[in-house]
Amino acid sequence: MASTTRRSRRDIGEGVLAALLLAPAGALLALIVLFPILRLFWLSLHEVRLSEPWAGQPFVGLLNYRDIWADSRFWRSLAHTLLITGITVPGALCVGLGLAFLANLPFRVRWPVRLALLLPWALPLVFSGLIFAWFFDTSYGVVNDVLARLGLEGPAWLSRPGPAMAAICIAIVWKTSSFCALVLLAGLQTIPDTLHEAAAIDGAGRWQRFRHITLPLLRPAIMVALIFRTITAIQTFDIPFAMTRGGPGDATETLAMYVRTTTLDFLDFGYGSALAVVMFLISMAATAWYLRWIRGTSE
Amino acid sequence: MGLERGNLLAGALALTLGLWGPLAHAETKLRVFIGGQQRPDVVRPLLDRYQAAHPGVSVELEVGGATSDLQQQYLTTVLGSGDSAIDVMLIDVVRQAQYAAAGWAEPLDPYLGDDRQKLLADYLPVYAEANQVGGRLIAMPAFADALFLYYRKDLLEKHGLAPPRTWDELKAAAKKIQAAEGSKDLQGISFQGKPIEGAVCTFLVPYWGAGGSLADAEGRFQLDRTAGEKAFDLWLEMISDGIAKKNVAEVATDDTRKEFQAGNVVFAVLWAYGWSHFQNDPDSRVKDKVGVVPLPGFAGGPSATCIGGWEWAVSAFSEHKQEAAALVRFLSGPEGVKHLAIEASNLPVLTAMYQDPEVLATNPWFKDALSVVESARARPKSPRYPEISEVIRVNVNAVLAGVKAAPEAVGDMDARLSRLIR
Repeated sequence: MASTTRRSRRDIGEGVLAALLLAPAGALLALIVLFPILRLFWLSLHEVRLSEPWAGQPFVGLLNYRDIWADSRFWRSLAHTLLITGITVPGALCVGLGLAFLANLPFRVRWPVRLALLLPWALPLVFSGLIFAWFFDTSYGVVNDVLARLGLEGPAWLSRPGPAMAAICIAIVWKTSSFCALVLLAGLQTIPDTLHEAAAIDGAGRWQRFRHITLPLLRPAIMVALIFRTITAIQTFDIPFAMTRGGPGDATETLAMYVRTTTLDFLDFGYGSALAVVMFLISMAATAWYLRWIRGTSE
Repeated sequence: MGLERGNLLAGALALTLGLWGPLAHAETKLRVFIGGQQRPDVVRPLLDRYQAAHPGVSVELEVGGATSDLQQQYLTTVLGSGDSAIDVMLIDVVRQAQYAAAGWAEPLDPYLGDDRQKLLADYLPVYAEANQVGGRLIAMPAFADALFLYYRKDLLEKHGLAPPRTWDELKAAAKKIQAAEGSKDLQGISFQGKPIEGAVCTFLVPYWGAGGSLADAEGRFQLDRTAGEKAFDLWLEMISDGIAKKNVAEVATDDTRKEFQAGNVVFAVLWAYGWSHFQNDPDSRVKDKVGVVPLPGFAGGPSATCIGGWEWAVSAFSEHKQEAAALVRFLSGPEGVKHLAIEASNLPVLTAMYQDPEVLATNPWFKDALSVVESARARPKSPRYPEISEVIRVNVNAVLAGVKAAPEAVGDMDARLSRLIR
């Protein structure tokens, strides 16, 4: 009798203890993740114009979302964002894969290679943007200088829509491929050499080994890289802001830049919040799709 | 036990005294925010002088943002959240209406008391007027400004040319000098095409010059499409003729200053601050080779220019408004204005200062600048100015980059501005 009481008390105790131990982390998460998201959504249902405080903050339901649907600037900035995502995610993954293989080669001194890998990753985004803005400067930039030495006349990179978008994508791929490389390098190092050796003995060529051993075993790392890279690509802001400010016209304005302009320049926090919610939903959808894809292919 | 308790008490007492000690004869700490472009190196000594004359007040200078837009972006986050960290801030002449509407600036009328009218009469009327919104004084003028035409005196003299009075004369002079000098890097003219605040004036200057106005006789919004297209065509011709560089759509205000300073530009459309850099910066290659005149007009038309300048405002969230207002009165008074004029070639906001021999000794061209500032025109006054500005600057940038045709841009501007300005 006594022993069962003690036991059940201990069971309850464990449950309570678990809840108690998790509570601080849970509270912290709710405070710094859940609360801002909910507040953002709540704001998006209101009209909040700091420039017109006398108008108050009336509840307007889904009006802001209806305006977004009819807002051609939203669709243009969304198209630019998706274009950047579509180019720079695969781009950074391919370049990153190459870099990861390079860093995984049995050099005698590997640390300089790995340091070189880390540097672009450690650099603040806006610095990369400023550096590349100089590279692509029409008059003083190194890109047009090299082209001139080859006898070609380079374009006014940042004031033509196509070249400006290309320059931005190049800068983003340079900046983000090192992150992909780091993740992929970690994945590569978990693949035992014995598998390659066994396959080599069985007569598998280099390509076959890559195709049938490295790639399948690297899949989880590739997924992690893809998810993180896609989310940051959807949020692209710093590099185009530093390089073109969205110009020429609004040819390189991304969704995140439009959110900033709406809130911080126009002080329209209601509409800006609604735009931010849409951006958040797009990120969520992309992540959910990746996760489903992983589950689908791993079964 | 008793002893311990006594020690504890004594300790607490000492601690309390230690904390309260400095506060008892404490100073009021004021925090002033200005942008990197407003010469913190020049403003700091002025604040030091104020501190020396006012024991009990210490003034910290916070510097951030190299352009009007970036400064505003920072202030928006501070003021939007009702933060009391900043007491006094320097704001662009286009922002008073927004600050008044948002309730960010403390109206200064009560702090000036009976002196208000007498004080305001000393300022250039355009600035006394610009700082009042609905009869309330939102800020006090710091320095005046307008767009001028800087030119290379040495090059014009060498080729026997007088400073241009019309855009056609400017184009002819630029072409002649560019051809004769034979340097690929020498630009005929530099102006601002990047989508920043400065691009608004890039449009308005020739638009006004071509007879355009943003308001009709009854004060309602209107956009003169003919004048708008003429304004764009002026700049586009300069690009296609090779007088302006082909990527002028990437040029921000300070880029114009740097390129002129490096000796790569014959004519520059720029604010007054350039003079002090050209004359004093160690890397300046144009020292004593610079002339300043009013901007040209179209043949037979008037010369128009955009008014600029910056204003001292007191934050509505400041915890030391009385002291902050006193500091603003000092900064916008004769001592502050004269200091900025001499050390940073900032145009004075006090009419009398244009006769001051010391000011004229460092800035000889100021004597002709008064009439330009007095005739300069203001950008639209509206709490939604940031949106108005954005419409104009994005279209200017698109046209100069060749992404949009001028008539299309003028049409778009008309459609969007008519909804913003009422």
